[in-house]
Amino acid sequence: MKEYLFMKDVYTFQWKDLGNLSEGRPNLGEETSVLIYRLMQFTFKEAFSKELGIKKTMELFADAGKIAGKHFCSNVLDTSLPFNDFVANLKEKLISLKIGILRIEKADLEALQFTLTVSEDLDCSGLPLFDETVCDYDEGFLAGVFEEYTGKQFNAKEIDCWATGDRTCRFEVKQTG
Amino acid sequence: MDSSQIIKIVDSYLQSVLKQGLQNEGFRFPLDPESIEDGDLKSFCFRLSLIFDMIDESCRFSEELARGNLQVSASRKNFFTMPLKGLQASLAHLTWQVNQVAEGDLNQQVSFLGEFSDSFNNMIESLREKQVLEERMKVITDVLGEGLLFVDNDGIVLFANPGALTLLEYQFEEIDCLNAVKFFHISTSGENLLQGSISKGLEYNENDGVLIQKSGKEVPVMISARPVFKNEVLDGTVITFRDISEQKKYLLLLEKQAMTDVLTGIFNRMKFDEILSSEIQRSKRNKVPLSLILCDIDHFKQVNDKYGHPAGDKILKRLTKLVSANIRNVDFFARWGGEEFVILSPGTDSEGAAQLAEKIRQKVEHHNFKNPEHITLSFGITSFKTGDIAMKLINRADEAMYRAKENGRNQVQVYSSAPQTTRPFRSI
Repeated sequence: MKEYLFMKDVYTFQWKDLGNLSEGRPNLGEETSVLIYRLMQFTFKEAFSKELGIKKTMELFADAGKIAGKHFCSNVLDTSLPFNDFVANLKEKLISLKIGILRIEKADLEALQFTLTVSEDLDCSGLPLFDETVCDYDEGFLAGVFEEYTGKQFNAKEIDCWATGDRTCRFEVKQTG
Repeated sequence: MDSSQIIKIVDSYLQSVLKQGLQNEGFRFPLDPESIEDGDLKSFCFRLSLIFDMIDESCRFSEELARGNLQVSASRKNFFTMPLKGLQASLAHLTWQVNQVAEGDLNQQVSFLGEFSDSFNNMIESLREKQVLEERMKVITDVLGEGLLFVDNDGIVLFANPGALTLLEYQFEEIDCLNAVKFFHISTSGENLLQGSISKGLEYNENDGVLIQKSGKEVPVMISARPVFKNEVLDGTVITFRDISEQKKYLLLLEKQAMTDVLTGIFNRMKFDEILSSEIQRSKRNKVPLSLILCDIDHFKQVNDKYGHPAGDKILKRLTKLVSANIRNVDFFARWGGEEFVILSPGTDSEGAAQLAEKIRQKVEHHNFKNPEHITLSFGITSFKTGDIAMKLINRADEAMYRAKENGRNQVQVYSSAPQTTRPFRSI
């Protein structure tokens, strides 16, 4: 029986669905430009917001980011490492994949509350000034990474963004459950 | 107010600022836009005053950052502060990283901050190397069988390796802040040389020290102390000590082996020669008599031939035991060689020595040695005379013993200066 990837009513992402990039792109390689990434993301935002409204769109982007963060953590990161080493591993991967430059400003390992910054963020660095933060997907992504690493529920809220006039995106990441 | 007046006022302000700096008033638009009647001019002045405010806020923001205040904030739309906000975020992260390093995390690295990244990462590398050295030192001090203490200039214990704690029989918490000198016996002169060397930064060595364990037991130790200097100032002392109990026991054993006969356990000839010289001196000095008894087992070769050498050895052991039980504590009994023995009897003249020899002769004659049952001894006796040296004493006793053999064995002969040179001794 044939297996359909996207023709079911509900799709559940699996890491293997990303396919074999080296096989698929032997000449162009595994990387593309930030421009194309943002083009896709922002046009998705437009299409979704016209159907569902901007609030629902932002929620969905955050949900998608969380799914991505959890899969990214379990497939790319070493979750057996102690916290500081895990963060170093995450930081190194985000740089090597050109997602952003992650830094920690505060870390309370007992309360599981963190203030993280991401510079040269993939989503927003270089954007013109808006009156709101735009890194909804990143919020979900960071929450997903922390959930997968700790096994506890997390929420991440962007409090500063390039789009709001800062030069680094700042996220408050807290355990919620 | 028209445009030329506005320009004049603003220009005057700018000239003042360029000449004198901002002073404490900050960078303020010198006019109240509300006071301008013309609509376009008013709007323009409002925009200009906003720019002035942004510049002023940016100056204050950078001032606070320069003072190290990383909590300072600036309005979001102020694009003059945006690059500084990036710097602020970097500093905040660096603060966290430095705290992590202070807590021992040497995996922190700084990226994308130019020269600072290089310097910080080099510093981490140096700290890692130092950590490796420290870990090596810890392993070395942990596996060291010797005790090692590090004390301050007053002798107070700051560090003790496992070897030290084992030897001292203490836990570290019990000796932390105690003076290390109390663990070692002071010299008989009363002066504590170890304490002196600690406070003065001198080297100290003691090959024959004594350690006092927690139980009060004293342990012989070899002690060394070496001062440690920091920037040429005395900064404590390293004390090492090693248990030399086994070494001392071994030395005693060697000494004993050097002076005792392996088979019988009594003095050997070498030791006896030493004792003889010493007793001759004492006899001369104190003018007290000194007699020497030389004895030999009769027909011992036949015993060996008939019963074997192991049996012969047993005879020698049993004989020495019997004779040892029948001499005084002040007498010296040694194996002269083979089946020959010698007794040195201080404070005894020939007569007394002869009585002693006769007593032993009878004991031996009547003793059951098992294999064979009976043996006899022949004795030669002489006493110290003025002018005697050890050799002469031995020779005379030997001559007397020879006579005892010639006259039938199993007898005591006393050397005398008569023509026959010896006379037999018979107890009454």
